[in-house]
Amino acid sequence: MSNTIHIQIDRADGSLQRLIGLVERRGFHIDGINMADEGAFRRISLTIRGRDAGRCMENLGRQIDRLFGVRRIGNDIIQSEAA
Amino acid sequence: MTAAAFKSSAEAAPQSGARLLVSTLERLGVEVVFGYPGGAIMPVYDALAGSKLKHILVRHEQGAAFAADAYARKSGKVGVCMATSGPGATNLITGIANAMMDSVPMVCITGNVAQGLMGTDAFQEIDILGVTLPIVKHSILVRDAADVPAAVEEAFHIAASGRPGPVLVDLPKDVQFATTSDDYGFHIPNETSRIDHDAVAAAEAAIRAAKKPLVYIGGGVKIGRATEALRAFVAATGIPQVSTLNALGTVPTDAPRMLGMLGMHGARAANHAVQDSDLLIVVGARFDDRATGKLAEFAPNARIVHFDIDASEVGKLRAANVAVVGELKDGIEALTTRMAGGPALDIQPWVEACVDAARTGAYRYDAPGEGVYAPALLKEVSEAAGDAFVAACDVGQHQMWAAMHCRFSRPEAHITSGGLGAMGFGLPAGIGAKLADPSATVVTIAGDGGFMMNIQELATLKRYGIPLKIVLIDNSSLGLVRQWQELFFAENYSEIDLSDNPDFVKVAEAFGIEAFRIDRRDQVSEGIQRLLAAEGPCLAHVVIDPRDNVWPLVPPGKSNAEMMEGS
Repeated sequence: MSNTIHIQIDRADGSLQRLIGLVERRGFHIDGINMADEGAFRRISLTIRGRDAGRCMENLGRQIDRLFGVRRIGNDIIQSEAA
Repeated sequence: MTAAAFKSSAEAAPQSGARLLVSTLERLGVEVVFGYPGGAIMPVYDALAGSKLKHILVRHEQGAAFAADAYARKSGKVGVCMATSGPGATNLITGIANAMMDSVPMVCITGNVAQGLMGTDAFQEIDILGVTLPIVKHSILVRDAADVPAAVEEAFHIAASGRPGPVLVDLPKDVQFATTSDDYGFHIPNETSRIDHDAVAAAEAAIRAAKKPLVYIGGGVKIGRATEALRAFVAATGIPQVSTLNALGTVPTDAPRMLGMLGMHGARAANHAVQDSDLLIVVGARFDDRATGKLAEFAPNARIVHFDIDASEVGKLRAANVAVVGELKDGIEALTTRMAGGPALDIQPWVEACVDAARTGAYRYDAPGEGVYAPALLKEVSEAAGDAFVAACDVGQHQMWAAMHCRFSRPEAHITSGGLGAMGFGLPAGIGAKLADPSATVVTIAGDGGFMMNIQELATLKRYGIPLKIVLIDNSSLGLVRQWQELFFAENYSEIDLSDNPDFVKVAEAFGIEAFRIDRRDQVSEGIQRLLAAEGPCLAHVVIDPRDNVWPLVPPGKSNAEMMEGS
């Protein structure tokens, strides 16, 4: 099962790397990325899935929430064909 | 420019970015900075001369980061370290990771090459912001001198607020040189922690329904300045407690219902109480694998009430039945008030069983032989130093012995590299702790392996005359690795022999530090008296048998119910 999360982040140095790095480090594959400019912010949509069954999407959301300059907007769960 | 910044004055005389950094640190009340200069941070060092800041020149940047970390742990203030670009910055990394793993408030200031050279593989250029992303709470690359004050203030705020951690401020050299008349400040956001009182009520209900409740105390209690609140809670309810490595002393280790440390090298009574309990009240702890052993078999009968300031810790490894997210002090005080308003708990049989197990399982110090028994020596050091005792531990067997056998009357008395387990921490940590609290009797407890990793900081001790006491437990090997090879790798001793160590007494003396040797049990008491009475820095080189192991032990990957006992 994959999941798309929508995030607004500021344009500070390293913010994109910080977000992507966190998602991969916490055990998720990134299957797709979309990014759009929103003035001082970027809006990013990530389609992700856990590397194994032990990876909890909710907990990843809380870990994203605690990054500075990053705001999570929401998520849509997508039933992928593989699932 | 940070969104929360404001322009406070446009009339000030022009100042360089480096000068603004120093004046901002002064304004924030920083007294001590640990660091090492180099090419890309020279304007900052130029501005340091004549400032109110006391700069401690270490002999390796890792020493600066570890000392700043321990300074923060002991003082409760933000520790500050600085280094130049490239190798200076990369040498800070282990210290930054250490602060991240143990949630220590620290601000690390690095110089970098000028912005025009960034991205060109310039001399001593490293993308330190990129390199450190996974091990910082936050990081800021300052691109304009006018942003320096706001960036530094924001860094301090982020480092110290909520769940603390290290924040990196990277200053390109052109930003340090550039002058500006602008002076921006940082609006500290008004963050009030609100406790969910329904969750606290649910916690109370869970506690009242339990027959075998147990408090699992983590390092977050000390960090959240909730030590007194937690002590009041356990006094009011009489619930027994176990402690993580980083929480030792939060409830004094000799308190009647403190069962000891849980986990791999925990006390038998503590681990068994966890396995038997029907409710774990987890306060500022994170279910680290060294504490839980095999997670699937950890506290199998227990419901979980989890207090933490970091929502992402709740449910990370073990689902919580009740979660109270927010400042621990507020949460625990609210819970104590509720508990005090109701009847006393009816848990006497459980409390007595726990306390009896702790009494009958108490460590013994009557090991046979003439050689030094390190657990007894460490216990005696802590008792001789009394409530002024502060241990700055390195990593290895001596660290576990200190945790198991020393008396800790307050959580700040035990400074240890818990999450990262970084060898080399003990000596620079002792320096940082002693500078944070000159009235404390700070004792670095190190092994021969870790001590050699930052032995150059003996020069820092000498330079500043810091009266740190060092207990160097020397078993001429990498003892904890040796122990695992003995037990779990069929005695295949691979690369653990350090019997060609230098003569540590001579090494210390060469640095100008008093030192002496203890190699027999009958020299221990006199040696401890000499060490503690020394006016200046002093090293006791304690020689022990390499075959001494840390017992008891939960084998890696096993349940905490399966403790091994040595002979």
